[in-house]
Amino acid sequence: MNRRGSGCLKDGPGVIGRNCRRVDGIAKVKGSAFFAADRKIDGMLLARVLRSRVPHAVLNKIDARSALEVPGVVAVYTASDIPGENRVGIIVKDEPVLVDDRIRRVGDALALVVAESEEALAAALPAIKVWYEELPGIFSPAQAMAGGAPAIHGQGNIQSVTRIVKGDADSALKEARVVISRRYTTQMVEHAYLEPEAGLAAVEDGQVTIWASTQNPHYDRREVARVLGIGQNRVRVVQAPTGGGFGGKLDISVQCLLGLAAWKSGRPVRMVYSREESMEFSPKRHPCVIDYTSACDGDGRLLAVKVKIVGDTGAYASYGPATLKRAAVHASGPYQVPNVFIEAYCVYTNNPTAGAMRGFGVPQVAFAHESQMDLLAGALGLDPFTIRLRNCFQPGSATATGQRLIQSVGIGQTIEQARAGAVQLGVLGGKR
Amino acid sequence: MKPFRFTATINGRPVDLPVNPHRRLLDVIRDDLGLTGTKEGCGEGECGACTVLLNGRPVNACLVLAPEAAGCEITTIEGVAPEGGLHPIQEAFLEAGAVQCGYCTPGMILAAKALLDKDLSPTDQAIKTAVSGNLCRCTGYIKIIEAVRLAAAKLSGEGDAV
Amino acid sequence: MKKRGIGVGCMFYGIGNTGMPNPAGAFLDLTDDGTVLVLTGCADIGQGSSTVLAQIAAGELGVNIEDVLVVAGDTGVSPDAGATSASRQTYISGNAVLLAARQAKEVLLEEAAGIMAAAASDLCLRDGHVWRAGEKTPLTVKEVLAACRKKGKLTLGSGWFNPETTGMDETGRGAPYATYSYATQVAEIEVDTETGKVSVLRLVAAHDVGRAINPKSVEGQIEGGCLMGIGYALLEEVKLTEGRIGNPRYAEYLLPMSLDVPEIHAIIVEEPEITGPFGAKGVGEPALIPTAAAIANAVADALGVRFYDLPITPEKILAALSAKGDGSARMGEIT
Ligand code: FES
Ligand code: FES
Repeated sequence: MNRRGSGCLKDGPGVIGRNCRRVDGIAKVKGSAFFAADRKIDGMLLARVLRSRVPHAVLNKIDARSALEVPGVVAVYTASDIPGENRVGIIVKDEPVLVDDRIRRVGDALALVVAESEEALAAALPAIKVWYEELPGIFSPAQAMAGGAPAIHGQGNIQSVTRIVKGDADSALKEARVVISRRYTTQMVEHAYLEPEAGLAAVEDGQVTIWASTQNPHYDRREVARVLGIGQNRVRVVQAPTGGGFGGKLDISVQCLLGLAAWKSGRPVRMVYSREESMEFSPKRHPCVIDYTSACDGDGRLLAVKVKIVGDTGAYASYGPATLKRAAVHASGPYQVPNVFIEAYCVYTNNPTAGAMRGFGVPQVAFAHESQMDLLAGALGLDPFTIRLRNCFQPGSATATGQRLIQSVGIGQTIEQARAGAVQLGVLGGKR
Repeated sequence: MKPFRFTATINGRPVDLPVNPHRRLLDVIRDDLGLTGTKEGCGEGECGACTVLLNGRPVNACLVLAPEAAGCEITTIEGVAPEGGLHPIQEAFLEAGAVQCGYCTPGMILAAKALLDKDLSPTDQAIKTAVSGNLCRCTGYIKIIEAVRLAAAKLSGEGDAV
Repeated sequence: MKKRGIGVGCMFYGIGNTGMPNPAGAFLDLTDDGTVLVLTGCADIGQGSSTVLAQIAAGELGVNIEDVLVVAGDTGVSPDAGATSASRQTYISGNAVLLAARQAKEVLLEEAAGIMAAAASDLCLRDGHVWRAGEKTPLTVKEVLAACRKKGKLTLGSGWFNPETTGMDETGRGAPYATYSYATQVAEIEVDTETGKVSVLRLVAAHDVGRAINPKSVEGQIEGGCLMGIGYALLEEVKLTEGRIGNPRYAEYLLPMSLDVPEIHAIIVEEPEITGPFGAKGVGEPALIPTAAAIANAVADALGVRFYDLPITPEKILAALSAKGDGSARMGEIT
C-alpha cells in the first residue's frame, strides 16, 4: 500500500538541504575505514585467477597437477568444482564463473588458485597447463553482425534490439528545411576507480560471508547462492567501504570465486586485483557508432530524428542490453520531436565486456544529439541557446516514447541558468 | 633472501622487525605493521594512494624498498591526527566535502601535509602541483584543492593564536 | 596560436532502471532514547548515499543527523535496495527510508496525540519535541517513547518504494521512468593550434536535481562528473588490438589530474519532484553526461572544424587543422 513517496516539501527543516558532513567521513580521513583489501582473518588464504590470453577458443583441458605441487598451494579449482550453476549475469546469465566450454575474451577466468602466500600463487599460475583450440575472433560489431559470422553465444551475435517509433520520420524529413546526417563514434572507456576489486570470504556454521567492494550486495548474494547451489539465507554479502565504482562494480568480480574457494577449502580466502587485472578484466563503457539524422523547420524546430546506435558489448551481455535501451530512449535528447525512428543494437564480439558506466549510453548519444543541435543552429544562423530553448521539454511535453512529462521538468531552467551563469562569469559576453 | 632488521620511527614510535629486503615499504606498513590506512591503487607509482612521508617528504610507498626506508622517520595517515581528535587538514577535508569514496584520501592528506608543513599560504597552482601525483576519480579535485586552502587558513590561524 | 571556444551541452536522464520494476526497501528502528537506526541495502560507493539517507530519516523524524546511524549494504541485516546505479538511490532508497521513518513516526504520533488529547494529524516532530499546529510543545520525543514502551509498543518501520513505470512495447511506447533529471553545461575551452592540446578553462554546470538534500554533496557529484567528462571528451581511451587491452595501467591510460582542473561553477536548479523524498531526484550520472558534448561543441566553435569521433586528441586536432589548411576539412555543412 505504501507505494508512493512524499512530496512534503516543508518537512525536514534544518536537516534537508543542509551540508551535513559525510557520516563515514571521520573513518575515511583517519585511514581507519577498512576496505576489503585491508581485512584479514587468521588462517586466511590468498587467491588468484588464471585467465585466458586468447580471445576466442574451445577449452579442451586444464591440468593443474604441477601447480598443486608448488609448496603453499592449497587447491586449484576449475569449472567442474562449481556445485551450482556456472553462469552469472545481471540481465542474461551468459558468463561462466570459470570457463567450462568456450573462451570468449582475453581474460576469461579458467582456474582459481588458492594458496598460503603470494609467492606460492605466483609460482603456481604458470605451472597450470591449458589445452585449447583457437577460433577466429570477432572484434567489431560490423563483423559480428555480418551474415555468416560465427555466433559467439548460441543465439547469435545481436544480443538485443531496441526500437522506438513515433510518427513518421521519413515523411517528416522530406518536409524539413534543414536535414543533417552524421556518423559519430565513441571510444571504450575504463572506470578507473582508485580501489581495485577486492574481497574476503569465510564460512562459519554453514553460512558463507563475503566482504566485497561492490555496488550491489544483494545481487552478489543471489549469484553466489546460485553458483554454490545453496539458499540465499546461507550467503551473507557485506559491502566493504567501496573505493569508487561508477558502474564498474555492478557485475560480479571476486564474489563468486571467493565464495567457491571458501566453501570448498573451509578456510577464509582473500583476493585483491592488481591495477592491471582491474583494468583488463572489469567491464567498460560501450564504444558506439551512432548514425544520426536530424531535421528541423526554418525556425529551428525539430521535426524528426532518425538514429541508429550500435554498441559493442564484448564477450558477455553484462548491462549491455540496458545500456543500449537507455541510449535509445535518450537518443533524441531533452527535446520535443514529433517524429522519431530510433534503433539500438547491443552486439556481442570477442572484445572485453562493456557494461554499466556512469551514464549508461547517454553520454554517447548526448555527444551526437548536441553536436546535431549545433549543426542545425549553424545552418540557420541561430544561437545555440535559442535553438535549445525553442525545442526543450516543457511540462506537458511528450518524450520519444510517448511519455507525458507533467512536473519537475527543469531543462529550460537549466539552459537559462547556465547561460546566465556563463554571462555573469564573462564566459559569454558581447560575443553573441 | 635473508631478512634484515628493519628499524625506523613510524608515527613517532620506534619499530624494529625482521623484514625481507626486497619487500616494499608499502607491504611493511600494511601487512607487517597492520597500518592499512595507506592504500595500494596501482603498485607502480602512478596513483599516490600509497603516499607516506619519509623524513617529511611525500613518497610512494609502493616504490620504496624496505631497506631504503630504514632509519627514517615515517608518517602514515594513522600518525596525522592527535590523540582523540583530528588534524586541521583532516577537519578541512570533511568541512570542504573533499572526501567521497575515500580511497585517495589518506594519500591526499599526506601530500597536503607535506606542502603545508613548508608553506602555509600556498597558491592554487602550488596546491594542484603538490597533489599532482595523487589521482582522485571521484571529486574532480575541486573540493580537495578547497580543503587544502581551508587547512592552510586553519593552520595559519592557529599559528597566529600561539 | 591559442583559439578560444564556447560550447553548450544539454541532457535529460531517467532516474532508475528502464521500464522495469526496481524497488528498494529499508528498515528503521526509533530506539528508546530517540536515536535512530536505519538498515538499508543501498551501497554507498563514495557518492554519499548513507549521508543522504541519514538526512532523510532525520528530516522525517525531527532529530539531528548525529542521532541517526545508517547500516548499509549488509545482506545479513538490511533489505534489498537494488543496485547503486541509474542515479536511483536518492530517489528510490530515499523514499524507502522516508516511508520506514513515517511508519515508526505514526506509532509515536498516535501515542502523543493520546497524551495531548490532540489529533495526530496536527502534530509533527522537530528538534526532539512534539509540535502542534506549528508550535513547539513541552512534550519531548523521549517522553512519548517512554510512554510507548510502557504499553509495550515498539517504534519500528519498514518501507519499500518502487518507481511507477511501464514497460516499452515493440515500438518503444511507454513510460520507462518515474522521473527525469535535467542539465545544461557550458564549456569554455582553448585550443593550442601548435600542439593540438585542448584546455578546458571553465565549465558552468546547471543541474535540475529536484531538491538537493545535501547541496555540497551534489556539487561534489557535479565536479567529479565534469572531470570524468573532460577525460571522456579529450583523453581517455582503452586501446584494443584483437580483443587485448594495450594500456591497462595508469601510466598508459590517461586520466584527468589535478593540473587539468578547470574552474567549475555548479548551479543547482530545484524543480521539486512531487514523488521524490522531499522533492529529490538524482544527479550521479547526469553530472557527466553533457560535458563531452559541450566540449566538442566548444572545440568546433574555436576551430571551425567539428569532430565526430571521441576522444578529441591533439593528434586528431593537428590532422584536422592541416587538412583544413589544404581545404579538405569537413565543415559543418548542410546536407
Ligand atoms: S599504489 Fe603507489 S602510487 Fe599507486
Ligand atoms: S574520493 Fe574516491 S578517489 Fe578520491
